[in-house]
Amino acid sequence: MTTPLLQVRGLVREFGHGPGLVRAVDDVSFDVMQGEALGLVGESGSGKSTTARCVLRLIEPTAGEVRLDGEDVLALGGPALRRLRSTAQLVFQDPYSSLNPRMTVADIIAEGIRIHRPRESSTTVKDEVVDLLELVGLRPDHLTRKPAAFSGGERQRIGIARALALKPKLLVCDEPVASLDVSIQAQILNLFADLRERLDLTLVYIAHDLSTVRHLCGRIAVMQDGKIREIGTREQIYEDPQHEYTRALMAAVPEPDPRSERAKLAARRSAQTTEAGRL
Amino acid sequence: MSTQARSDTSAPVEVGQAMLSVRDLTVTFPSADGPIRAVNGMSFDVRPRERLGIVGESGSGKSVTAQALLGLTPRDHTTGSIVFEGEDLLTAPQDRLRALRGWDISYVFQDPLSALDPTRTVGHQVAQPLLLRRVPKKEAHRRAVEMLGEVGIPDPARRARNYPHQFSGGMRQRVMIAMALIGQPRLVIADEPTTALDVRVQAKIIDLLYRLTDEQGVAVVFITHDLGILAGLAERVIVMYAGRVMEECSTDELYYRSIHPYTLGLLESLSRISGPVPERLLTIGGGPPAPSRLPTGCPFHPRCQYVQPECRTTPPPLEVPPGGEHASACLRAAWLAERPGELR
Repeated sequence: MTTPLLQVRGLVREFGHGPGLVRAVDDVSFDVMQGEALGLVGESGSGKSTTARCVLRLIEPTAGEVRLDGEDVLALGGPALRRLRSTAQLVFQDPYSSLNPRMTVADIIAEGIRIHRPRESSTTVKDEVVDLLELVGLRPDHLTRKPAAFSGGERQRIGIARALALKPKLLVCDEPVASLDVSIQAQILNLFADLRERLDLTLVYIAHDLSTVRHLCGRIAVMQDGKIREIGTREQIYEDPQHEYTRALMAAVPEPDPRSERAKLAARRSAQTTEAGRL
Repeated sequence: MSTQARSDTSAPVEVGQAMLSVRDLTVTFPSADGPIRAVNGMSFDVRPRERLGIVGESGSGKSVTAQALLGLTPRDHTTGSIVFEGEDLLTAPQDRLRALRGWDISYVFQDPLSALDPTRTVGHQVAQPLLLRRVPKKEAHRRAVEMLGEVGIPDPARRARNYPHQFSGGMRQRVMIAMALIGQPRLVIADEPTTALDVRVQAKIIDLLYRLTDEQGVAVVFITHDLGILAGLAERVIVMYAGRVMEECSTDELYYRSIHPYTLGLLESLSRISGPVPERLLTIGGGPPAPSRLPTGCPFHPRCQYVQPECRTTPPPLEVPPGGEHASACLRAAWLAERPGELR
């Protein structure tokens, strides 16, 4: 029996105070095994991104426990926390605002290595950067260019190479394909699947829709109002959803099939007319 | 609803006849590297009450096409014709366009937060098209509240006094739709109106647009990059790539019997919530070309798995191939038409 790489217990994060107090994350617990891909799905405001940011300690949780690779994440400070940061990395949603436009691709990818291993020779760093670039499907001649020269999909590959530079065990991806074209989304999803296999990566993949998650994640947690409503294997969630909210989300996902979509639309319309009143 | 007098120059349109005819529309933007063709010879019709989908990725020219339909692209860079109910919008005087916009033809923008004025109440903004046409303030306000209720804003009289930041994303999009509808237009152009929204909210906006065409006889042109969204709503779909029409047909023809490699590739690369889970998603290699660097011949040829030597030199015409049921701009359309559905 393997121990989980990531253990989250009773995680709570509150924002504001007094009557305006909001519990963005409300008693969330889950495990992620080494090599596993967990999907964290929910609508905007469900607390999925806040959960991820608490796990990485980019924001401080109000209460709860997070153990990563055997270490108590919330108790760490100083050099130990920095070490943890190389164990778990984040891929951001927006490939435009998450890359510094004034840095070259080489510097963007190497930045983490230079901070965490300051005494590394520049040739070693360069070799590693070239390898990373190849790993994510970019060419060595891209190294000297700046982000503006790249399309959204290519930028996301740069962001992924940067996240992989410190050889993390856990990669947290916050809606990494949401702002990409459909034909590029599939390429990036395949890249994540390949990387997971080749590098034995553990993934926490955050998304607002159930369709991209299905391709990548063996286990899925559905979040609403800061709580996990349902967590289960891909088969359990997609074939036999237990929670009403999961079923509602599933029913609303549009599929490229006109006959079934028209049937769904007609069903929604007749449900509304029985509800009496306007949409 | 109301008995507001329409602009009396508009000729009544027969059902089945096009209310909007776009012919050879080309929009070119000047740039340091020479002119950039964002839209390259688009032709299509919209019939009354029709739900037409236009699908395309970034750089395909779909939004520029939408802007051209409202006369929002620079005139000296726009050629072809856009005939709305017998009147060419590309030669009509500017004040005539101003009279049409938001009244006979209206537009729903992708991003309601940047399209709405943060300093004015939602009610005032929805009433704006009426106020501009000298409808008395009280009456305009009453109808704005009524319209907010129509599009599903709860407690519209109170919400009309709120500002845009007090609304959620889905509610803001409803406000945009209310604003687009208050002039009782005959054509609504919606440019990615659901893109930033959660799936359940998306479904509600789709239902609302459907109801509009069904109950009020409005024609809707729905522009999106997402083929999933169009499946239930559109009756006809135009697939755009690099400023051109690649394929045009009924929705069922497109999803079940496409004869264009680009459409087939788009459909294959969609992730789905049902059916078998493939090891890897099938993908179209590469990315859409930048309008400033279009390849010669067929713009899709560098990414096409069925590419032939002549594709690199000859841009394929948009036509119905022998044995096919609908128009496709592909030299191998006839070959694909012999294999309907097999390639998916």
